[in-house]
Amino acid sequence: MPLTYKFPYDIPLDRELISLGFESTSHTFGVGVVRLRHGFVDVLANVNSQYKPLKGGLHPREAALHHMEKAYPLLKQALREAGVGLGDVSLVSYSMGPGLGPCLRVSASVARFVASYYGKPLVPVNHAVAHIEVGRLFSGLEDPLVIYVSGGNTMIVAARDGGYRVLGETLDIPLGNLLDTFAREVGIAPPYVVDGKHAVDICAEWSREFIPLPYTVKGSDLSFSGLLTAALQKARRVGGEGLGAVCNSLRETAFNMLVEVAERSLLLTGKKSLLLVGGVASNTVLKWKLEKLAEAHGIPYYGTPPEVAGDNGLMISYTGLLTYLYGVSVEPEKAVVKQRLRLDEGDYPWLRG
Amino acid sequence: MAERVDYFNKGAEAVLYRTRILGLDCIVKKRLDKPYRHEAFNKVFKEYRTRVEARILSHLKSLGLNVPAPLIVDVSRGILVLEYVDGVPLSSLVDSMGREELGVVAGDLGRQVAVMHSNRVYHGDLTLANTLYGGGRVYIIDFGLAGYSDDVEEYAIDLHLLHRNLQAMHPGIAEEFMNRFLESYKQWYSGAFEEVRKRFLEVRVRGRYVDRELRKTVMRDRYVS
Repeated sequence: MPLTYKFPYDIPLDRELISLGFESTSHTFGVGVVRLRHGFVDVLANVNSQYKPLKGGLHPREAALHHMEKAYPLLKQALREAGVGLGDVSLVSYSMGPGLGPCLRVSASVARFVASYYGKPLVPVNHAVAHIEVGRLFSGLEDPLVIYVSGGNTMIVAARDGGYRVLGETLDIPLGNLLDTFAREVGIAPPYVVDGKHAVDICAEWSREFIPLPYTVKGSDLSFSGLLTAALQKARRVGGEGLGAVCNSLRETAFNMLVEVAERSLLLTGKKSLLLVGGVASNTVLKWKLEKLAEAHGIPYYGTPPEVAGDNGLMISYTGLLTYLYGVSVEPEKAVVKQRLRLDEGDYPWLRG
Repeated sequence: MAERVDYFNKGAEAVLYRTRILGLDCIVKKRLDKPYRHEAFNKVFKEYRTRVEARILSHLKSLGLNVPAPLIVDVSRGILVLEYVDGVPLSSLVDSMGREELGVVAGDLGRQVAVMHSNRVYHGDLTLANTLYGGGRVYIIDFGLAGYSDDVEEYAIDLHLLHRNLQAMHPGIAEEFMNRFLESYKQWYSGAFEEVRKRFLEVRVRGRYVDRELRKTVMRDRYVS
């Protein structure tokens, strides 16, 4: 039995639609298949493969090579799991950006091919919007304040006046990037994530001590670069066993900053629920802090589960479907990718209400 | 000393109570411990922010700006007693204001922020929710994230925060308000306005995934001119 969720938008539809989506903005290549019928969304398939560097960080070219290798087998697997053929698909969607150019091109190429060969409508999807929309689908929250944290993004977002508005964001590096870079520089990664736990979290368990580190909150904006530099300096000075305290303090400081700006935005917007999305949404400590925040304000909180928190094909296929229902599609020759695509610049007709 | 203490409002980090002390209308601002924050952090935050807010409010009051005067400070308990200001946040008014009135309040806010910056003070959380409008005056409140700095960066960030808050919460009047604000700011800022303006543009394009051409243009201006 596929997972089924109530479609949160009221759009009359007398036929069923099947959407095939490709994700490849960064380290993940993913294929998702969803079906919309009778006001319910069925998740038919969500297969993803992550590029994991053996040393150092993510090299865009290496990641893109991984995606090219995985594209065909993953598509085949997704269709088999979904029990549909390419001919049955109603539309094809792909992640248009923001992301790494070489990676983005892979999903766009595959999607263009499938769409033109089988004569299917082609729908570009903003990756950040996909994270948010799939969070709204899974949580059933109507109009939440969204906290979107991943390796490439850190922002507080709310829907307002027919668009997504960014209330606060990082002025330099994103939260996921802060943790990854720190882990890499002090030599505890890669692998960045082991059994669903980040290297910094594992290391933080060695200590319960706190070292003061720079805390930079500017209104609802954040800055992590000074924190990173200071933490690295501390780590070099204490070395070895002292690293636990640095990891613990780094994590506590960074998360406190995020939760503080989330709280400020919550009061500013008056939203009545809290939604956490993006790769870092899997982090149990951050989840705990946001649960406490929601509890203090007496509002519901939902964090997307690991299989849709990180980058995945499902969120693209679902958001592609949603976009298509408002008549948006592009010709294959105009299906471009954009490395820089801001969340607050797009047009999202379903928010007009 | 206090006759009656009534719950007044709740902000992101403090609860406000209203009372009368020695016949004076007062707001008691008590900073709260956060359940999500380790106690070591809670203590530092509470004490530091209470101290900073009290110090800066009394400085700004002495400059003649419209801010509530601090009356009593208890740093270790995170309590600040302020003069009561009768007004409504601009955030709940601007969307229904006429153009003319909007220009006047934007100008008044611009003047005060400029005077503040001219005296090395930055606010750190400048939004319309942190203002009060009453008796034809704009008051600036909530100085918990404020500080002293000679760096135009901090002033530019104040402008950036205000602009972003306008765009996010009041998209209809955002640019109009900001233009009137800056016109007045320019007149009253005692330093080189051009420096602040340039840095303000720069902070704006620092956000993630900003169009590369736009970023290049702004950053080039910084080094070439």
